This record gives sequence, structure tokens and C-alpha cells, in this order.
Amino acid sequence: MTLPIASSEESRAWLRAELRTRKAEVGYTLAAGVVAAVATIIPVYVLGRLVDQVRDGAGASAIIPISLVIVVSALIGGAATGLSTYLVGRLGSRMLADLRESTVATALRLPALVLDRAGRGDLLSRVGADIAAIGKAVSEVLPQVISAVLLGLLSLVAMAGIDWRLGLAGAVAVPFYVFALRWYLPKAAPRYAQERAAVAERSQLLVESMQGLRTVHAYRLEDRHQADIATASAKARDISVNVFILFTRFGARINRAEFFGLAVILVTGFWLVRNGTVTVGETSAAALLFHRLFNPVAMLMFTFDDVQAAGASLGRLVGVVRMDVPAVPSGDRPAGSALTLDKVSFSYDGITPVLHEVSLRVEPGERVALVGSTGAGKTTAASIAAGILRPSQGSAYVDGVPVPDLPPRTVAIVSQETHVFAGPLLEDLRLARPGATTEEALAALSRVGALTWAQALPEGLDTLVGDGEHELTAAQAQQLALARLVLLDPAVAVLDEATAEAGSAGARDLEDSAAAALEGRTALVVAHRLTQAAAADRVIVMEHGSIVESGPHEELVAAGGWYAGLWAAWSARTPAAASAAGSASASPASASGSGSAGSSAGD
Amino acid sequence: MSSSGSGSSSGSGSRSGSRILRRVIARNGKRLWTGTALIGVHQACEASIPILIGVTVDSAVGPGDGMSLILWVSVLALLFVVLNVAYRFGSRQLMKAIAEEAHVLRVEVAAKILHPRGAQTGFRTGDLLTVSTTDADETSYLLDYVPRIAGSIVATIISAVTLLWISVPLGLTVLVATPIVLVLLQISAPLITKRVADQQAQAGRATSLATDLVTGLRPLRGIGAQDAAADRYRAVSRRSLAATLRASRTQGAYQAASTTLSTLLACGIAVLAGWFALTGRITVGQFITVIGSAQFLMEPFGLLAIVPSWVAEARASADRVAQVTDAGMVLPEGVADPSEERCELRLTGVRHGPLEGLDLRVRPGELVGVVANRPADAEALVKLLAVPIGFEGTVLLAGVPLENIERSRARRLLLVEPHNTDLFTGTIGTNVALSDDQPLTAALSAASADDVLELSADGLDAPVAERGASLSGGQRQRLALARALHARPPVLVLHDPTTAVDAVTEHAIAQGIRALRHGPDSGFATIVITSSPALLAVTDRVVVLGEGVVTTEGSHAELGTVDADYRRMVLR
Repeated sequence: MTLPIASSEESRAWLRAELRTRKAEVGYTLAAGVVAAVATIIPVYVLGRLVDQVRDGAGASAIIPISLVIVVSALIGGAATGLSTYLVGRLGSRMLADLRESTVATALRLPALVLDRAGRGDLLSRVGADIAAIGKAVSEVLPQVISAVLLGLLSLVAMAGIDWRLGLAGAVAVPFYVFALRWYLPKAAPRYAQERAAVAERSQLLVESMQGLRTVHAYRLEDRHQADIATASAKARDISVNVFILFTRFGARINRAEFFGLAVILVTGFWLVRNGTVTVGETSAAALLFHRLFNPVAMLMFTFDDVQAAGASLGRLVGVVRMDVPAVPSGDRPAGSALTLDKVSFSYDGITPVLHEVSLRVEPGERVALVGSTGAGKTTAASIAAGILRPSQGSAYVDGVPVPDLPPRTVAIVSQETHVFAGPLLEDLRLARPGATTEEALAALSRVGALTWAQALPEGLDTLVGDGEHELTAAQAQQLALARLVLLDPAVAVLDEATAEAGSAGARDLEDSAAAALEGRTALVVAHRLTQAAAADRVIVMEHGSIVESGPHEELVAAGGWYAGLWAAWSARTPAAASAAGSASASPASASGSGSAGSSAGD
Repeated sequence: MSSSGSGSSSGSGSRSGSRILRRVIARNGKRLWTGTALIGVHQACEASIPILIGVTVDSAVGPGDGMSLILWVSVLALLFVVLNVAYRFGSRQLMKAIAEEAHVLRVEVAAKILHPRGAQTGFRTGDLLTVSTTDADETSYLLDYVPRIAGSIVATIISAVTLLWISVPLGLTVLVATPIVLVLLQISAPLITKRVADQQAQAGRATSLATDLVTGLRPLRGIGAQDAAADRYRAVSRRSLAATLRASRTQGAYQAASTTLSTLLACGIAVLAGWFALTGRITVGQFITVIGSAQFLMEPFGLLAIVPSWVAEARASADRVAQVTDAGMVLPEGVADPSEERCELRLTGVRHGPLEGLDLRVRPGELVGVVANRPADAEALVKLLAVPIGFEGTVLLAGVPLENIERSRARRLLLVEPHNTDLFTGTIGTNVALSDDQPLTAALSAASADDVLELSADGLDAPVAERGASLSGGQRQRLALARALHARPPVLVLHDPTTAVDAVTEHAIAQGIRALRHGPDSGFATIVITSSPALLAVTDRVVVLGEGVVTTEGSHAELGTVDADYRRMVLR
């Protein structure tokens, strides 16, 4: 399932609606373009008149009025051209700015399930490459295209103004240009796509090889990678050459249009001059006007695929903007903070159930740990509790209010997937609470034990972090996520495997950070490290989408069920700690035995 | 260009850039000169079109001579045929040369970067990518600039000769005034470049913010911060819009100035030519030719004005390409070829970064755990074993200094699997089964990675996306471990191999490593750098590093009972 793409009708409808809201701006932008084109045409026309005056043997003084006219039109034309370039660019950029802002706002609001199914890559390329492609087209191509179109049209009008037959002669070129385009575009589009794909593949191989250089060298893969790169590069080279050969054939067709246009004008002019309908000067003016169009029109032809590509990008953006996103609920936070899941079932594909009628309740201020093997449904249950996923059946509530109807900042989840947002560290934190003061941010960092390293950064809280900037460790990124949670201050917090990536030494610190962040909140913690479970008020064990055990840690251990087996495996890995805890299977020698027992229990 | 990196582009760099450019020309000689000659013909034809228009008006349209019209329209047709054929075949030759040259440069650069002895380029990864893509392309574009320059000169000469032949004062005026106007227009170029660069920088910032926010969408959604994020994007988008409008204004002003100036120039010439025509010094057709040629001349003149900056860009790119291809090697060329399959690894008094005199001996058959109190010590040890350079003391593998062993051999005997796992685009099979045709089953089950195969019906042929992005962190880690185990090196170094797997699986992996590599009579040595008790519990011996030296040594059970520091580091 992919994100929708707007059809060309839908894109055009969007464009029309946008233009309609800016009628005045569109009006004077067009007016400036028309003035510029007219001012470009007048001198040529006037020079044609001069030809006739030369032929009629007029005196040298005839040059004076003509000079005046062309100098004035040069001045007006120059100013109007500049103004038109600016106005077209401004109109396009303003529309684009609105479009990209609503695209991003919509993208950020898309339901998790929609996005997971479509894949993030598609959305990323829309907010990244597509917006950039239109931006480039708007600022670099659009002004030229508009001015070339206006110049072409008005030149034809001017020729027709001299004599309708001359106008018709100039128009002979139009079908040739159209045929050239209709021949070229359908052939070019798939080849350009092929070329882009080949170049992307080549870059990907280069990036992977460079970023994975340690591994490439460790496994003596350099020859294999080198060969792959050479193959991909050769493929991209061959496609590029082929695309270019196609392009030169397109060029030939444009030349053909130019020749026929010019020849027909000369022949028609010749015939009309012989008839006495037009003068030699008028014919010359028409020929010169047409010669002048060679460059702008060729440019228009060559940028047509840019325009087409921008159109495709537009369709992909409008497709996102037109998507429905859930409204943000308003209202007050509920007074209580008990979290309930009531007979919640869930399936990603509608066939395989991931959760089956799971019911649980976390009392206000209570901390409950969810334990279970991979695929037991812990993360899904946590996501439903946090409102990230909607259950197929049943509901999640906080103090009786369905989770999707809760006002923002009532429930929050910190998941295993951390992300350090690019920019100053302080701004990263402020995403949780815009307008938070530095003191509040510092307090949040301090509470999760991150203050020391944060203040030790090169520029403290102003240090640029994230992609391409100062790199935080996995543990620091997790603490940052917890600090955001503190700053957000939700009544209910869900933690999903928030310490799993940190390695053993860091995990203990992170557990402390998490405990501090959860203080005073109703908390549901997906625990991978059983120490997290042992520290919770209550443990819920899940298997195959259902709850199998529930109760305080000591009770479950004493009960000797699934959890007790897991705990035995866990404590066996830590002989001293286990013996200190006085547990039964507590010697290193038995570690292997209980280890395999644990793993078979986990299957 | 953003890729200046830490390398210098002066001194020897400059000379090697020129050398690269000379080589570009030399090795594409035939295509380049054929192409250039044909492009010259094409430009000559372009320059002749306005002349032909004038001649046709003069000799056919004016006098009403039908035969003459047929003649000159036929000549025009012939001109267009020649023009197009010359362009088509000339530019294809050049395109082939350009594409081939860029490809060859790219492959050269990649070969250098991938060289097993390590290239000292001074560039970061991102910059290296730019060198192998953009800079290789930019360098090859020299093959486009040469014919353009040649073509422009041809066109200029033809137009100039025509104008001078029609009227010397008129021709001189055109030839002097046009360059002056073009130079005047160039003056404002830096401002435009600056504004456009600013616009692009702001647009780039907006783009990277958007992708950054979407990448972090899950965490954002987790704390309900989508609105805050959208607001932040809106602010950056507005700044980008402001920069675009500034650039637009500058461009508009430039456009106004350049249009006004060039139109005034063309008009001035036309008025002068008109006056000459009115006073009978030139014919009507010549008048038309002058107008057309003066208009046409702007193009080759304009190109000649801008092309030096293009060549400078190609030169800068060539400098960066040279900086990579000429880079020295990190490691010496080892020659020793120890054939022993039962290898001992022995470090004596090794000082390297934070390591301050490390002694470590791992005998064939041993499974040794290394616990580092400071992560930097572990990093340094791993780095040293992978790239044995810049250290004091001795590192012996099978009794031979590691740095003296031929690189392929050394890497076959001693495999260091880095902690940050790199998987590559392909399939699970192409990622894990790198060397021989032995069945993967044993390695996969030892690394508890069999379940990854069950995710898809394709099994080993299941696709792996770029950098393994289609897999979870735990899956990537287990596949990388399976890859290392499957390679069956005599000495294997693993660095924190189980940080992304759960407790139960970690146990199974520890058992798996032990069973696969250290059965009876196994001559394999394994070093596991970790603080995971599950892994340490299966080792023969644990070595503890503190402050760059070995502080304690013993079995995991022993250390766990007697050593409080050890407990603090390892046990929870």
C-alpha cells in the first residue's frame, strides 16, 4: 500500500484553486510579462518599418523617431522583464511555501498504521526530494518558461498583425514543435527514470562501501565491492549516453521546426511582397522576430521534462495534502489517570491476530511492567495504550475517556526507536513543550541524570546535535527522550524497551533515568531487562497476544510459572547477584542448563 | 563546493589537479577533437542563419526573384541539415567521452578508497562520496567546455568577419561594445551567486528539517509533538521563502539590467546600421544581417565570458579527485605469509591511544572475554587489531608482527567484526555467506539467527535493504554474528556482539559461540569484548582492562565472587 498520488486533474484543480485565491497577484504578474514581451517585439517591428523607409529613399533624419521608439521600449522592456521575473518567482515561491508547509503538517499527522504500510521512504522522498524538485523548478525554470510562452504567443500575434497570412506562416512551426515534444516526452520519461535509478544504485553502492569500509576490509570484500561499483557505474554511463542520443534526435526535430517556420515565412513574405500586400520591411521583421524565438523556444522545449517532473512531484505532494488526518482532540485532561485496556484485539493484516482480548488496568501512580518473548504483543499493547495504534476491537481508556479522544499531552510513549532532532539540544527538548525556559529544560535533564554530559557538550544546551552534527551516544539519545517526557509531563507514560540498545553498563544508568522520569505518573513499561520488571509494582506476562500471568514480582517468582523460569534464567547469568538474592539455580556451572531452559520457554 | 574537507587544495594538490585535467584531454583525444571540429561546424552554421536571412531578403524578396528564392531557401535547408548532422554526431562523440571519463575516474577513486591498505585521503565519508560522484562528473565536463569554447570562437569569427565585410566601422563598434556590455554584466554576478547560494542553503535547511522530522516521526508522535514540529517547519519554510524572494529580487534586478543593456546595445547597433542604410552605405539585406548577427553574437560572447569560471570549477574538482587518487597508504605492504592455521595472538607492551602498555595473549583453542572499564580502551584494541598502525610495542600473530603480514592473509587469519554492524544491499545469503560454499545452518543457529530466515518464504534469498534497514537492530546484529562465525577465521574478535538482543537469546548465543568454535580439538581462538555476563560465563578466561592496562585476570565465576569492581562492571 502506498501513499496516494493526485491525478493530473486533481493537481490542476489544486492549482486553479490556489491561483483563484491570489487573483490580484496573478493579474499584475501576467501584466508585467505581457508588457515585457510587447516591449521586446516593438523594436523589431519598427526596424522592419525602417527597411521600408530605406527602400523608399527616406532621408537620414528618419532615424530619429525610430531611435526614440526603440530606446524607450528597450528601457520599458528591460524593467518589465526584470519585474516579471521577480513576480513570477514570487508567486510560485509563495504557493510552494504554503504547499510544503501543509504537506509536512499533514505528513506528521498521518496515522501510524498508514505510514507503516506505505513505508517511510515514500513520505521522506515527498517531503525531501519532491519539495526540492518543485522549488528548483519554480525558482529556475518557471520565470523563463512563462516569458518564453508569452514571447512566442505575442510574436505570432505581431506577425498576424502585419498580415494574417504571415501570422499563419509563423504558426506553421507550432505543430512541428508539438510533434517533436510528443515524440520525445513519452520516450524520455522512462529513460530518465531509468537513469535516475541507475545513478541512485551507483550512489548507494558507493555509500554502503564507504560507510561499511571496516566490514568490507574485515571480510576482504574490497574486490567484490569494487566490481559491483564498476558494474553499476558502467550501467549508469551507458544509460546516460543512450538518453543523450535520444536528446540529440529531439534536437534534430526542433531544428526541423525552426527551418520550416523560417522558410515558410520567407516564402509567404516573398509571395505577399510580390502581391503588394506587405512590404519588404514587414517580411524582414517577421523573419527576424521568428529567428529571435529560436533560443527561448528551444529552451522551453528542453525544460519541458523538468516541468513534467515538477508536475509529477506536485501530484505526489497534493496527494499527501488531500489525505484525511485525525483531528486533534481538545478539552481538559481527565482528572484521574487510571489506564485501562478493555478486551483489546489487534491485527496488522486483518488475518493474524497480534493481540487477543487483552484487558488490563494500571491504577493511578502505579508502575506495571509488561514481560514476554519477542512477538508476544507487548509493543502492540503499549502502542494501543499510548494511542499510536487503534485497536481492531475493544478500547483503551484513561480515566474512562477513550485514548484517541484525550487532549494532547495526556499519554506519552517513549519507544526503542530514538531520534535526536537536528539542531540545538535545547530546541530538541522544546519539541516536547514549546516555550519551555532554559531552567525547565535543565531541570528535566537533571532529573533523568543527563545534566552532566549535556553541560559538558562543547556549547552546552546550544550545541548542535543530530544528523551531521555532534553525535550523541545511544544512551544519551535515550536519556534525551526521557528528558522530553519529563518536560512534557504527561499523567500517563508508556515506556517501550527504552534501555535495550544501551549495552549492559549503560542499561543500569538508563533504568535509573527511566525510574526518575516515571515518578508520579501512571506507567506501563515494556521490560526486556528483568530488573525493570523486578522494580515495578506489578508484572504482566504476555504470550502469543494474551496475558498469561499477572502479579507482583515476588508472587510470580514464588508461583513458579513462566515468569519464574525466565527470572531463573536471568539471575543465572549473574552468579553473585543471584546467590546474594538467595535464588535456587545460582552457580555459574548451571548457567548453561538454565539458559537453554529459558530459551525453550521463550519459544 | 562543500567538499573541501580537511585536505588542502593548494601546492601539490593544484599541480595534480592540472595533471588530471591534462590526462582527461589526452586519453579522450580522438573523440574530443572529432567532436570539437563538428561542434565548430555547427556553430558556423548557426552564425550563418542571420546572414542568409539578409541575403534572401536582398536578392529574392526585394527584387521579387522567384529563382533566387528557390536557390536561397534551398541553401537554408542545406545549412540546417549540415548544422544538425554536425551537432548530432559531434555532441554524441563528446557525450560518450564525458560519460566514459567520469566512469573511469569514479572507478579509480573507488578503488583507492577501498584499497585494503587504507588510503590517507583526509576526507570524511560524506566528502568522499562527493568526490566519487559530483567531482568525477565535474572533472569530466572539461570535455564539454573545450568544444564550447572552440565553437564560440568560430561563431564569433564568422559573425565578426561578416560585420567587418559589410562595414568596418559598424563591425568594429559591435566587436568592441559587446564585450564591454558583457563585462559590465559580469560585475553583478558575485552578488547573484551569493544570493542564490543563500537561497539554496535555506531551502536545503528546510528540506533537511522536513526529512529529519519525518525520520523522527515515531518519537514525535509518542510525545504528541507533531504540532510543535509542524510549527518549527513552518518557521524554517518562511525563512526559506524570504531568502528565495531576496534571490528573486536580485535576479529580477539583474534581468532588468541585462535586458536593458543588451537591448540598448542591439538597438544602438541597429540604429547605426539603419543610419548607414538610410545614407546608402549598406544594403537593406546587409542591414538585416547586421541586426540578426548582433543579436546572435551575444550568445558566443556570453559563453566565452562565463566559461573560465566553469573551467575553474572543473579544476577544483580535479584537485579533489587527485587528492584521493594520489593519497598515500596507511598500512605498509606486508609480505610475511604465516601458514599456521593454529594461530596465537600475542600483544606485548602495546601503547595505542588510551592503551598504556597492554599485554594480552590468546592461545589457539581459547575463548577469552575482555572487559573494558573504559569503552575507549575496547575501541582502541579493536581498531588496532583491524588496522595495526600507530602503536608502540608488539602485536604478534602466529609469531609474526601483524603489520608485516600480507594484508589478505592477515585478515583471513584474524577477523575483527566491528560493533557497528554493516550489512549491505542484497539478500541474507549474500550478506552472511561471504567466503565458501559450506552450509550456513550451523553459523545461523549458533548466532540464534535462524528465525530471521523464517520471516520470509525466500529464506536465504530474502532481500536485505540498504544498510540492512529492512531488519531490526537485533536481527542485524545476529546476522553479522552469523557472518563472522561462518567465516571461520583462526582468530575471531567480537566487540559487544549482543547489545541488541534479549536476555534469553543472549544465553543461547553464548552457548552457540562456544559450541561452534570451541569444540574438542578446536584450534580456533576467540576474543569477546563485552560486559555481558551471559557471554562472559562461557569464556575460558576473562581479562579486565582498566586505565589502558590489564588489571585482573581469571574465570568469570571466580572474578564474580571475589572482585567487587568486576561485579560492579559486569553484574547487575
